[in-house]
Amino acid sequence: MRSIIKIVNNIETYLCRVLLVTFVTLLFVQIVSREIFNYPITWSEELSVYMFVWFVFFGASHAAKLSAHNRVTFQYRWFPEKLKVLCELLSDTAWLFFNCYFIYLSYDFVFNRMNLFWKSQTLGIPMKYIYLILPIAFTLMTIRILQVNYLKYVRGVDIEDPESKEMQELMDGSTPENKNQATNG
Amino acid sequence: MNETSIVLILFGSFIGLLMLGAPVMVSLGLAALASFLYLDENPIKLVQIAFNAVGSFPLMALPAFILAGALMEASGISKRLVNLAESFAGPVTGGISAAAVLACMFFGAISGSGPATTAAVGMLMIPAMVRRGYDKGYASAVTASSGGLGIVIPPSIPMVIFGISALGLTVPAEATAQHGTFQSVSIPKLFIAGFLPGMVISLSLITLNYIRCRKLGYKGTEEGWSLSQIKGAFRSGIWSILAPLVILGGIYSGIFTPTESAIIAIFYTLVIGCFVHKELKWKDFARSLETTTWLSGRVLLILFTATAFGRLLVENQIPAIVAQSMLSLTDNLYLIWLLIIAFLLFVGMFMETLAAIMILTPVLLPVTYSLGIDPIHFGIVMVCTLSIGFSTPPLGENLFVAAGISDTPLEEVTAKALPFALVSTLAVILIAFVPQIALLLPELLGY
Repeated sequence: MRSIIKIVNNIETYLCRVLLVTFVTLLFVQIVSREIFNYPITWSEELSVYMFVWFVFFGASHAAKLSAHNRVTFQYRWFPEKLKVLCELLSDTAWLFFNCYFIYLSYDFVFNRMNLFWKSQTLGIPMKYIYLILPIAFTLMTIRILQVNYLKYVRGVDIEDPESKEMQELMDGSTPENKNQATNG
Repeated sequence: MNETSIVLILFGSFIGLLMLGAPVMVSLGLAALASFLYLDENPIKLVQIAFNAVGSFPLMALPAFILAGALMEASGISKRLVNLAESFAGPVTGGISAAAVLACMFFGAISGSGPATTAAVGMLMIPAMVRRGYDKGYASAVTASSGGLGIVIPPSIPMVIFGISALGLTVPAEATAQHGTFQSVSIPKLFIAGFLPGMVISLSLITLNYIRCRKLGYKGTEEGWSLSQIKGAFRSGIWSILAPLVILGGIYSGIFTPTESAIIAIFYTLVIGCFVHKELKWKDFARSLETTTWLSGRVLLILFTATAFGRLLVENQIPAIVAQSMLSLTDNLYLIWLLIIAFLLFVGMFMETLAAIMILTPVLLPVTYSLGIDPIHFGIVMVCTLSIGFSTPPLGENLFVAAGISDTPLEEVTAKALPFALVSTLAVILIAFVPQIALLLPELLGY
């Protein structure tokens, strides 16, 4: 049960890792096959671009879960605590509104306007299936925003974005030995 | 007037939401949505923009470079490059701090990110400087200030983003009529063009470092250069030195696209990390994938809404209005450059670099086209200027990182870093005034 929860809770990052490794490998195989065996693979570029799109939108949902999306927050320093919380709630409401509207738009586009005859150029997959990522990922992202706010305000968990977390790690103990944990991005 | 009200809606709602603390992507998206509704256009366009903005082959260079950089860090490639730079310090006044600048340049050639460069170099160089009697604050300031080189020296992630944003914009017809045709923008061209400007900024930093070190009395070692140390650093670092050559060689020779080059770099790093250095662990690999995931997701989601925003700007002739009002102020190209640089410096202080590029390219690039400025030249100046924002308050990520590593108060590092920011700004002004600095190499190499 625990492990199922863990998988569901991190589903986007697992999917993204698989997609990332696959399209990177696919491109590498394409380069090797073209340069060394003189045999260009025509379908791999298109396939890897579509995998990349899925990777990006799942990744965006994962970033929402980590609350890693860029915001301008320096003005909060001069705000009283209550106003800050109000602003945070309002801005997340705006985000939810945008997402819901976009889910509606993309659902409408994929299911009512796209037909199965609109196919991708080399692979011949109906584009409808590839565009499906938009409603799926934005729905997931909306759930993640609600999850983050639930954890923050109901359960009182302090959610720190990965960059401040790294910064904190650097501040706490910084010897050359633990440099591997400290940098990326 | 229709145009002024659309400006109000676009920028008003964007800045309002940004100040509220909404994510950049949402602020841009809602501003675009409001304008679509105001203009009575069907917002369903957003769906296709979402897909097409992200689904492009050159854009895959972004996750590939992020992943390559993270893996190089984990496989000990970065560490060896820094050691090599350190071994050159020797008896020169301010030598070891100049080596820190050099290390940032080396590192910039494999990484596309400023704070990552500062952290990787700072971890090794700040303690090394302190061991030689340098003041901690000064040591941190040098590293933080040269960390920005990471995004100027190619390969550079901001240049990829600028290239993608610029490719989506057509040259205004009036501009072509007035100034002749412009060269096309491409990422390899930007990568070549960024090389000399990176050198100019590095040289200006090294010069100021020399002057300040002489004043502070930071001498080099007594015994001169240690040949055996240099040789040792070379021997253990040979595979690391090859890394930038692999990446840049492929791109410059035109055999590989930037995306393919980054892919090759990833596999090169995996081989070196697993079999030569034997430092790459499974945990580090998973961690690199994780970082690449959220970073790419975050950046490219902004790209989606920024594309919608940019398209609205261009469709409503807003860059033309900006250009006109600029020209009504002055028609001196140098003054206009200074205005642009001041504006970019200001934005760079408050906004994340990639987001700033995605938002500002559709506004400023058409303006510079109509002024007859070369797009490659403009892109380089833009990236260089924004890179200074890494080491200026209030949001200088490099300052935070360096202060954190050396355990010095942020204010002290900031105060000591400001002269470096100033001299970098002067270097950027020089790069803007002398287009040849950016354009010479691409021209010579026949791009």
